[in-house]
Amino acid sequence: MNTSLRLSVSSLRAHKRRFAGTFLAVFLGVAFLAGTLVMGDTLRASFDSMFGNAAAGTDAVVRSADAITTPGESQGVRQPVAADLVRTVERVPGVAAAAPDIQGAGQLVAADGEPIGGQGPPTVAGNWIADPALNPYRLAQGRAPRKSGEVVVNRGTAERGGLDIGDTTVLRTPDPVEVTIVGLATFGGEDGMAQVTFTGMTRADAEKYLTARAGEAASILVRAGPGVSQDELVDRLTPALPEGVEAVTGRQSAEENNEMISGQFLGIFTLFLLVFSGVALLVATFSIHNTFAIVVAQRTRENALLRALGASRRQVTAATLVEAGVVAVTASAAGLAGGIGIAAGLQALFPAIGFPFPEGALVIGAVSLLLPLAVGVVVCLGSALLPAVRAGRTAPLAALRETAVDTSGASRTRAVAGTGLAALAVAVTLTGVLVSPSVWPAGTGAVLALVSFVVLGPVACSTAVRVLGGPLDRLRGVTGSLARRNALRSPKRTAATASALMIGVAVVALFTVFGASLKATMDQTVARSFAGDVAVSAPSYGAGGSGLSPRLADAVAELPEVDTAVGLGRGVAEVDGEGRALTVTDPVALRRTFDLGEVEGSLAALGTDGIAVTEQEADRLGVGPGDTTRLTFTDGEERTFTVRAVYGQSELAGDYVITRAAWAPHRTQDADTLVAVTFADGVDGETGKAAVQAVADDYGNPEVQTRDEYAQSSAAGIDMMLTLVYALLALAVLIALLGIANTLTLAIHERTRELGLLRAVGQTRSQLRAMVRWESVLVAAFGTAGGLALGAFLGWVLVEASDGASDSAFAFAMPPVQLAVVALVGLAAGVLAGLRPARRAARLDVLRAVATR
Amino acid sequence: MTTTTTGTRTAARVVDAVKVYGAGDTAVRALDGVSVTFPAARFTAVMGPSGSGKSTLLHCAAGLDTLTRGAAWIGATELGGLDDRRLTLLRRDRVGFVFQAYNLVPTLTVAENITLPLDLAGDGGDPEWIDTLIDVVGLRDRLRHRPAELSGGQRQRVAVARAFAGRPDVVFADEPTGNLDSRSGEEVLGLLGNAVRQTGRTVVMVTHDPVAAAHADEVVFLADGRLVDRMEVPTADAVLDRMKAFEVPS
Repeated sequence: MNTSLRLSVSSLRAHKRRFAGTFLAVFLGVAFLAGTLVMGDTLRASFDSMFGNAAAGTDAVVRSADAITTPGESQGVRQPVAADLVRTVERVPGVAAAAPDIQGAGQLVAADGEPIGGQGPPTVAGNWIADPALNPYRLAQGRAPRKSGEVVVNRGTAERGGLDIGDTTVLRTPDPVEVTIVGLATFGGEDGMAQVTFTGMTRADAEKYLTARAGEAASILVRAGPGVSQDELVDRLTPALPEGVEAVTGRQSAEENNEMISGQFLGIFTLFLLVFSGVALLVATFSIHNTFAIVVAQRTRENALLRALGASRRQVTAATLVEAGVVAVTASAAGLAGGIGIAAGLQALFPAIGFPFPEGALVIGAVSLLLPLAVGVVVCLGSALLPAVRAGRTAPLAALRETAVDTSGASRTRAVAGTGLAALAVAVTLTGVLVSPSVWPAGTGAVLALVSFVVLGPVACSTAVRVLGGPLDRLRGVTGSLARRNALRSPKRTAATASALMIGVAVVALFTVFGASLKATMDQTVARSFAGDVAVSAPSYGAGGSGLSPRLADAVAELPEVDTAVGLGRGVAEVDGEGRALTVTDPVALRRTFDLGEVEGSLAALGTDGIAVTEQEADRLGVGPGDTTRLTFTDGEERTFTVRAVYGQSELAGDYVITRAAWAPHRTQDADTLVAVTFADGVDGETGKAAVQAVADDYGNPEVQTRDEYAQSSAAGIDMMLTLVYALLALAVLIALLGIANTLTLAIHERTRELGLLRAVGQTRSQLRAMVRWESVLVAAFGTAGGLALGAFLGWVLVEASDGASDSAFAFAMPPVQLAVVALVGLAAGVLAGLRPARRAARLDVLRAVATR
Repeated sequence: MTTTTTGTRTAARVVDAVKVYGAGDTAVRALDGVSVTFPAARFTAVMGPSGSGKSTLLHCAAGLDTLTRGAAWIGATELGGLDDRRLTLLRRDRVGFVFQAYNLVPTLTVAENITLPLDLAGDGGDPEWIDTLIDVVGLRDRLRHRPAELSGGQRQRVAVARAFAGRPDVVFADEPTGNLDSRSGEEVLGLLGNAVRQTGRTVVMVTHDPVAAAHADEVVFLADGRLVDRMEVPTADAVLDRMKAFEVPS
């Protein structure tokens, strides 16, 4: 072992350059992984302290006991409690103070007329609580609101909106409310609770604008008297509360809020990033394996000599493994440091570009410290394992032989096994897509397809390079021909090099195809089911925004240019025991602006106890027109509804429709998500849109969009996601490029004499550079072509499987332009990867290259 | 030293050639003021003991390496004034090489290896001449083979054909028989000699083998980086005797 160690160290020292690529691949992969984990830790810790701060002075929260959560939503909807419950609570012994907390959505309009925030973090409005212990916000400047129309705004929001004390602006609740800023507040010493916007109003204003009925509050915040613990307080409060209302400790409430953000949003966010660091590490595995395989091959004579001199197999294997281990440990450690650096950099960068990233020190958990190290070492050692074993198997006689010709490419077993795997992959995938649509077999098939591509790589390589490089002979003469043959020299090596890029490109292509399909689906949905002329909406993501004023639809409907304007509100209820989103609207008008497909029964007759259901949901519930179903609302009331209509298409209209009258008794803060407008006969698009826009201006200036614009803006989020995905995948592609560059450098080292000869007999430096570059381009072209084919196939599988597995119809789309761009980027990447090796090759000393020894 | 070249053209020459490797204490003077002319249509052998500078002379005369001082010429072209690109083009168009280790391109077939310099120039060359060459070196039935499928002698014959393919002004051969058995060596030397005598080509060959040197029209002797002697119409025995003289400490 001692000898092995010495051999490894001396070999590493002698060939530092060879391992630079391996080092970088491990470094980048580990840095990405560590950066992700540390960022997750830090975000989680900041949220922890943020929610802790918010509830620091609150010892108990009195709130309604039930929450209804609909699928795909992180936050349940809770019915308000009566605000005068405060008086009951205050009388409970041990209570020092209690205040109603009225909260709703309220989006401020900036000085320039644009709404502030709304792209993720909540836009909150509420009553300004006088008791400083119960109010997480502190007045920093100005005073508390005293009369109607006066508000306190957190300082960060005011700064973002260019607002200051004394300014008058509009608060969308979603009804526009004119407000004057009288105070600026801070949160835990900061300018705000991350990027959350907060507007504090008088209690009367809050009740008026943020709740459905006066005298309601989201919850009641309670402060305990001296010597009363939070648990004791809850125990004392509980008997005093009416049915359906509960008391929880302040700590628990903070934890729940925290869990909602950390558990849902952060969980998905970190998982998303982890997937991409996984892709990067997978790509790195190929590059690393390839480097070690080449190095071992190049060292055959040396290893054979060692074996001839009496080194055991184990010693030779161990020497290679130790070498890999040293690279693994140093690169992983450096990667860990790099990852922490990345997280620190992002922390500094994100707020600058308006992305919410809470301040505070970096937090590094034990897992974030150990996992990247472990993964880096395992990936590196795992990749080197096969080459190391192969090194150990070197026959002592190989020292005397010329290196054997590489025939691995065309191996029959490989061809047969690969083809079998590919066939199995297609069969499994098609079963998952066509026979019994489900994501699992489709996913298994996708993985099998990937494996079969890797196995078949060397076999396909020869043909592919011959075809792809065909035009090179004519284009670049002997330079091109040499490049092509060099790429074909060791099919296994070329295939392994290309595989790394192939995986990167495949994932890029997969997302490109999937994104385009989602967009096509969106277009198709709007085109098929939206029969109106314009749509009015207030675009927002996540918990931001406040929706549209419920009075907007009526105001628009009164325009002479408009035939029908229908607002779609959103409600929640448990239908048959499961949380469901309801569309609250005028069902008759709905039918005029949306294509609902075939309707069985009558939409006009819903009344206050009727419901319309899509065919699919009706089948699931086993109901038809005339049957009844039970709805439980957030206020705990259970009502029997009669199914009066069953309609064919849901899409934009939702699965359940009830009237505004039926929803009214159970409503919370009123808001519409969409107002769909159909123009009167003879009104042209421009005129109609201008008229609607004029009305909308008075309601907080939401966006008025034509059908096409509406479809496009619905798809805007997909473009944003794709951009992020591309940015994340750039790393994997970069690692693949390093792999190509490294393989080329090693190959050039191997071919020193040959290159020298070419130069001696008249190959110019530029011809030599071109030859190396073209080889690089060919390898990249092979990887890119394979990646595109695999990615497009997987994209199709994903779309079809989603189509089969979910209730909404998915459209499949191949975006030719984007895929062509991906192909071009792949080729350009090849040129880039070849640059440095080409330069190095051209610098070769002709004499040294042709020298006898 | 005078160079009586019976009024023929000069294929290549070096004048006062000095080549120093390294610097300071470790500097080695590989060439120490050598002037020699290689006349056209002649087969010249360069001989000398190891370290005499014979390979360095060949490399510098052929434009593979640059002189520290002095001048090297191919025909009327002075090499010192050429940049890397011009030097490369000159090698491609006017110089041929045969190396001890064959130095064929393993990915190319025999035929492609032969026409490599012409292909690099993007010029078809003279097909009839190439055809003749293939017959002369006796590789017609091997044209589609790869170098790995040939014996050492066959490989070196391919290298000889490649060296003459572009009808260069001069072919430089660096120990062309060093890796061959004596029969294959004889064949290769015969090819080089015939090229000079039958088709008027010029060959400059570095060798340490007196038998190989005997194939040349003239032998020049190098010792310690200096030209020490010349011998017209050499025989193996005469050359051997001359060489032995070097080894006797004088």
